Amino acid sequence: MMMGKKLVLVVGLILAVAVVSLSLLLGGGITTGTVTTQTVIQTVTQKQVAGTINGAGASFLNPQMQAWASKFYELTKGRVKVNYQSIGSGAGQANFKEGLIDFAGSDPPLKKEIYDEFQGKSGIIQFPVIIGTIVVVYNIPNIETQKLRLTGEVIAKIYLGEIVYWDDPLIKELNPDLNLPHEKIIAVHRSDGSGTTRVFTAYLSKIYKPWKEKVGSDFTVQWPVDQLGNGVGAKGNEGVAAAVQQNLYSIGYVETAYAYGSGLKIALIRNRNGQYVIPTEETVKSSLIELTKILPKAHEDWSKIFPDETVDPPGLKSYPIVSFSFIILRQDYDDEIKVALLREFFTWVLTEGQKKENIVPGYYPLPPEVAQIGLEGLKLLR
Amino acid sequence: MKSGKIFQISLILFIVTTLTIVVGIVISLINSSYPIFLRHGFGFISRSVWNPIEEDYGILPPLLGTLITSAIAISIATPLAISLAIFASEIIPSRLRSFVNNVSDLMASLPSVIYGLWGLYVLAPILHKYVMLPLHNYLGFIPLFSVKPTPTNLFTAGVLLSIMIIPFASSIIREAYTAIPYNLKEAAYSLGMTRWEVVKTMLGYIRSAIFAGVFLALGRAMGETMAVAMVVGNIMNIPKSIFDMGYTISSLIANQFPNAEAYKYMVPALYGGALILFTVGLIINLIGLHLVRRVMVKS
Repeated sequence: MMMGKKLVLVVGLILAVAVVSLSLLLGGGITTGTVTTQTVIQTVTQKQVAGTINGAGASFLNPQMQAWASKFYELTKGRVKVNYQSIGSGAGQANFKEGLIDFAGSDPPLKKEIYDEFQGKSGIIQFPVIIGTIVVVYNIPNIETQKLRLTGEVIAKIYLGEIVYWDDPLIKELNPDLNLPHEKIIAVHRSDGSGTTRVFTAYLSKIYKPWKEKVGSDFTVQWPVDQLGNGVGAKGNEGVAAAVQQNLYSIGYVETAYAYGSGLKIALIRNRNGQYVIPTEETVKSSLIELTKILPKAHEDWSKIFPDETVDPPGLKSYPIVSFSFIILRQDYDDEIKVALLREFFTWVLTEGQKKENIVPGYYPLPPEVAQIGLEGLKLLR
Repeated sequence: MKSGKIFQISLILFIVTTLTIVVGIVISLINSSYPIFLRHGFGFISRSVWNPIEEDYGILPPLLGTLITSAIAISIATPLAISLAIFASEIIPSRLRSFVNNVSDLMASLPSVIYGLWGLYVLAPILHKYVMLPLHNYLGFIPLFSVKPTPTNLFTAGVLLSIMIIPFASSIIREAYTAIPYNLKEAAYSLGMTRWEVVKTMLGYIRSAIFAGVFLALGRAMGETMAVAMVVGNIMNIPKSIFDMGYTISSLIANQFPNAEAYKYMVPALYGGALILFTVGLIINLIGLHLVRRVMVKS
């Protein structure tokens, strides 16, 4: 009897230890975005429908999406509620594919395979809703912001580990007036999978062929500079900003809003026409004028175009690393109310939502020609 | 007799439930991760690569990083947790006792993201300036300190983890210490022992509780995600010194899970990492239990 009790105690202790460590491990670790579609409240009054639409995806889009959702909730006096969960582009696309959410927000558009899969079933539309820019930031004590000049090739060589010191001849050549220190460059990059990395590496791939061959472009890539011990991985835009601030002689890339928010120094980047630019209303506009010409329609495949073709656009003043955020919708919903809600909300987003007072600082509104892509696409909803 | 039986049956029910949950977790981990083991075999554990474009994954660096950061954490936390427990139950005036205990328990329950932010913005720069750089400058010839440190690295993560687990381990030890029958202490004092000798004897008496506290804390250190992800450096490289940046399995999962579903093999790879973490945790806990039993048999 005593033996039995002891055995029970020991087994219990083992289990308790295992369960506690497991729950700590899993509880904190794997948080998948499970989205429960809420039941739509059906109160139809004179063509106006009320209810909730649920979306999830890109974290880059999140602040702007929350601003739109709350503004629209106010405007419709609580009739239309939009929930958006910031769980990452990949998870958003996966949840959308499973039918767990009504729309997905994503930095890159759907990959070709997934696009084809949808084409056979419920149809798909995807369109840009907002524009962002990525800046290269640096931390060199004696060099002010917007003084350091870089080219895509030099940035690629830094992240490849081919340029190791700040006073490398290739950097000196671009900056004859600057007193560049003989210090190792610490190259900061994202450690989490991110649309920002996807666009940034697409830019490096397009500008510098060896980058395309050795590394490529994706949410997460294998950074060659890490092998030399000169790379730092940081989580999120805010993590990269913090890492650049803390590491003297470092370089990094962030969404523009984060660079201004944390007071980081922004590098001038040479565009196709040899001009050194930072993102401003003027330089972003110049990029978009050229880009508008090559953008597909909402129901077409975007994977070949964005971001691999849209980075480094022509145009005298164009800023080279411009990025879109996409909304992905099905064509068939089999639910009139849902279709009406989605159409109403995104029509507003693409028209009124693009006005200055509705745009969160750090983002840029779509030019009317680009907004038109989405407005045309919304007509296909059934 | 009858109520005794009901009691027994209800106990069995609880044990069966707990067992089912553990077995269920193991099965689902295996079920979700087997594609990566079929694809890479042992290479998944023995190689250092994280390349989603090629769908090539090998998690040796995070595995080593987990072991290194946990080892740093536990070697700092164990003596401090024991001292804190003794201090809180022996030395401190009884009026202040509950205050200190409450503060320590509060620390144990703080969300880890708060530790992470504090670690990144406050702890990392301080450690970098006052601990790591001096150690590297004066003792850099020792391989352990040979790499020129950046503020975020394995050492920072280990120190942050130790701060997170001290209150956790300490509260378990403290509970055991205060539960020692008072007449034992009285007997010890009546033999003419000094306070230090009494404490030493009492610590021997609660050895198994100390082990339990330390191993539970170790489990927490190994499983910590957010805080570590913010200060460990997140580099897929095999570390050569404790000042190298690294990765841990948990922080890899925290970093990579949100976009993992965009790839065919990344989700299995992350589950594979979780399975390995589970196995390592189990082995360490089993060794711990074995040690506890040997200690108990000896005394």
